[in-house]
Parts: sequence; structure tokens; C-alpha cells
Amino acid sequence: MTEKVKLYDLSKCTGCRACQLACKQWNQLPAKQTHNMGTYQNPSDLQPNTWNLIRFQEVSDGNGGVKWMFRHDACMHCTDAACVRVCPSGALSHTKYGTVAFDQAKCIGCKECISACPFEVPRYDPEKDKIAKCDMCFSRIDNGLEPACVKACPTGALRFGDKDEMLKLAYKRAKELGGDASVYGDKFVGGTHMIYVLPEKASVYDRLPENPRVPLSIIAWKDWLKPLSLLAAGGVLAGSLFHYIIHGPKDTGGDDDQASQEGGK
Amino acid sequence: MIPKKGMIKVSDAFERIVHWCLAISCIVLMISGLGMMFHAFNFLAIPVGGLKNLKLIHNFTGLIFIPSLLFAILVWWKEAGVLDLPDDFEWIKCAGGYLWHVENPPETGKYNVGQKAFFLAVAGFGIIMIISGLIMWFPLSLPTGLVRWMYSLHALGFFVIFPFFFVHLYLGTIGVPGSAPAVFTGYVTRSWCNKQCPKWLRKMEETGKLEVYGEEKAVSEH
Repeated sequence: MTEKVKLYDLSKCTGCRACQLACKQWNQLPAKQTHNMGTYQNPSDLQPNTWNLIRFQEVSDGNGGVKWMFRHDACMHCTDAACVRVCPSGALSHTKYGTVAFDQAKCIGCKECISACPFEVPRYDPEKDKIAKCDMCFSRIDNGLEPACVKACPTGALRFGDKDEMLKLAYKRAKELGGDASVYGDKFVGGTHMIYVLPEKASVYDRLPENPRVPLSIIAWKDWLKPLSLLAAGGVLAGSLFHYIIHGPKDTGGDDDQASQEGGK
Repeated sequence: MIPKKGMIKVSDAFERIVHWCLAISCIVLMISGLGMMFHAFNFLAIPVGGLKNLKLIHNFTGLIFIPSLLFAILVWWKEAGVLDLPDDFEWIKCAGGYLWHVENPPETGKYNVGQKAFFLAVAGFGIIMIISGLIMWFPLSLPTGLVRWMYSLHALGFFVIFPFFFVHLYLGTIGVPGSAPAVFTGYVTRSWCNKQCPKWLRKMEETGKLEVYGEEKAVSEH
């Protein structure tokens, strides 16, 4: 199965939030009371009931003017996904499209994915004691449709298609934009399945890691300590058996002691 | 396992209770933890109705483990937490005679270096397990960079504690016959004491503190 990619071109985004709304509609995530944080960004962050969000940001252009920037923030669907590595129950898993699916029924609310994710995507829902995140509308893409956010986008900032095709489009667009424009997503964590075309340097954008990677602590835990502990456990089981049959148990009896007969039992 | 006349008391009721609280909570924690750590062991959750229940069992057993470990440290640190040099060094050099044939292994007190190492590993890594475990239970109020390392520490704790636990189980049962009654009735044979803790036995006899089953307690002397 060919991998699918959601391509997001920031230069075409008008911050209309149709994607945000379409996501809520398709995934049945009614809004809750929010608070005004002095910008159009609402709610203030990703939430268990808000799986994608337009981040609004004002940046000085250096000439006394202001650039108003929008970023569609949602799960990046990493190929080497830290959340899938740590998930103990298999609630988070890779799909045949390369995206990261989430099965809420399997989630045990351990929050390990929240700590592991380099993009701060999974959110904890205390009411359900489960996490929630974008699953790239698996129910839709598995039926040949595009994700709800892509379907709703009126400007073409969001596109969906085969990975190769989307990457080609992304690089073409970045070249067109010129300057600091770049493609973000294909060069780390094994390649993400949401790809950005960034008109500015990645460091300009709020809450966007420049070099996201699976944290070393997670690699130490899952790749080193897990196999090592199995090895140690197996080693000591086998070692004890060999000790018993080769070296033999310790002789703690004594002939001058009546009660020692009991000792061997 | 009824003690016989002439057997020697090596542990009191409180020690035995602490031992079993720690042992049972530790075993439940290891099994439930294993069920969550490896997908291949997820089946361990079936008898309790799923991983979520296994998580709850793990977390609340942790709450029993905490006081058990603290009492264990209080009860045994003096006898098992301090090396007795230079004799213990001699013991280390020949591994106490446990791994290869040693004609006369150095005499030990109440606990040998292996047992002391087990105590120190469980005490030290047990505390690490408690701290990292509590942080893993409530991770959202703490910096992510810190929380991430707690998972590694927790795994490291299992890596260290399990081998010690299993060797302890082996040597407490079939590896050193006659040991197990120490944690059930509290009484072991005199010959066992002569092999396992001769220095302690002599000291207890000299100070008149030795309690022998079926004999008047000799404590009235002091």
C-alpha cells in the first residue's frame, strides 16, 4: 500500500479554521467553553476534543511591519513514532498508509505517549481517562476519501495524496516561494505523514521543534533497557538452573545435629 | 514446618511480616509491570480483565510496596546494609564459595555479602522505583524532559531487581536447603546456622541472646 501524506502549505493558509471545524464535525468533538487569550487562536491549545488547531502568530518583519502567520497544528504521523514505541496496549499503531492510528478502546490512560511525543500532540482526557489525537481520519482515508480537514480547506493549503506526489509538490512549492522557504517533515523521525511547506525558517514558528527526534530517554528505555532486562532475567533463570545441576545446592546439614534432618526438606 | 527442639530463632514475627509484604507486593508489581512493558506479555492482563485493570493493580500495589520497603530498610539496614571489612572483602574474593569450590569460605555474620548486595540493590533501586513510579503515575504536572527519564529509570530498576530477586528465591529455597523456614517459622537448624552465619551464632551465644526452640530463653542473665 502506498504511503499517504497530508501536505500543508502555510503560504496558502488564510486561517479560516474550516479544518478545525470539519475535524470536530467528522470526529464528533463538540466544543467546550474556552477563554480569550487575546488572539484569534481558540481554543488556546490542542485538547482532547480539539485534534487540530490553527495557531495564530504575529511576527515583526523587521521593517516596522507585522507578519500574521497561521499554522495548522495536528499529529505529524511520524514513521518512527515515539508514541507507538511507548504505547503499552497497542492503542497507538501504524497503519498501512504510514499514518498513526489511535484505538481509544485499547487506551489505558498511562500518558506515556504524552511524554514521548516530540510534537506535544497527544492530549489527556480526564473524563474518559484516555488520550486523544488526530488519526488522519482513518475511517475516511481507508474508504478512499481525504481527511475531513483537507476536504474542508477552501484555499488548497491542505492537500492529501500519495507520499511521492505530495513530496514532489512540496519541493516545487518551496522552490517557487524562494527565500527561507523549506519543506518540513520528510527529514526526521523517519519522515512524517503531515508535511509542511514553511515560507519562513522553522525556528520562527511557535511550538514547532526545529529538530524533532525520538527522545534519547525513550530510546534508552525501549531499545536498550527492555531487551537488556529480558536478557538479564533469562540469564539468571538459566544461570540458577545450571548452578543447581553443576555446582549443586549448598550442604547445610551436619551429623551432630538431630534437627538437621529437617533442613533438607 | 513445625520447628523441632534445638532449632534456632533467626527472625522475629515482625521481620517475617515485613518480608512477606515486600515479597508479595514485589511479585505482583513485577508480573503486572511485565504485562505492560512487553506486548508479548499483554496476555498477563487477561485474568484481571484487561490492561487498564492491570495498570490499576500495578499502581495500587505500589502503594503497599512503599511502606513495605521502608519498613524493610528500617529492619535490616544495620545487619544487611553495612559491609563488615575486611572479612567481607575476603568473601567477595571467593564469592563465598557459591560459584566454585572453596575449601573454607570466610565466616559470615547474620548476612553474607551476597545478601547485603541484595538488600542494598532492593533498597536503592526500590526507592528509585517508588520515585519514578509516582512520577509516571502523575506525569502531567512535571517537566516532560524529567518524566521521560523516569521510564528509563523504572526499566533500569527492573533490570537490577529481578535478577537479585530470582537469585534470592533460588538460594532461599533449593539452592541452600534449610533456609526457607527462616521466613515461615523463623527457626532454622543449628547446623544451618553454623554454615550460614557462624559469627552471628557465636555472638548470640556469647551474649546469651540466642533463642533455641524448646529451651528456656537465656535472656534473664543481663
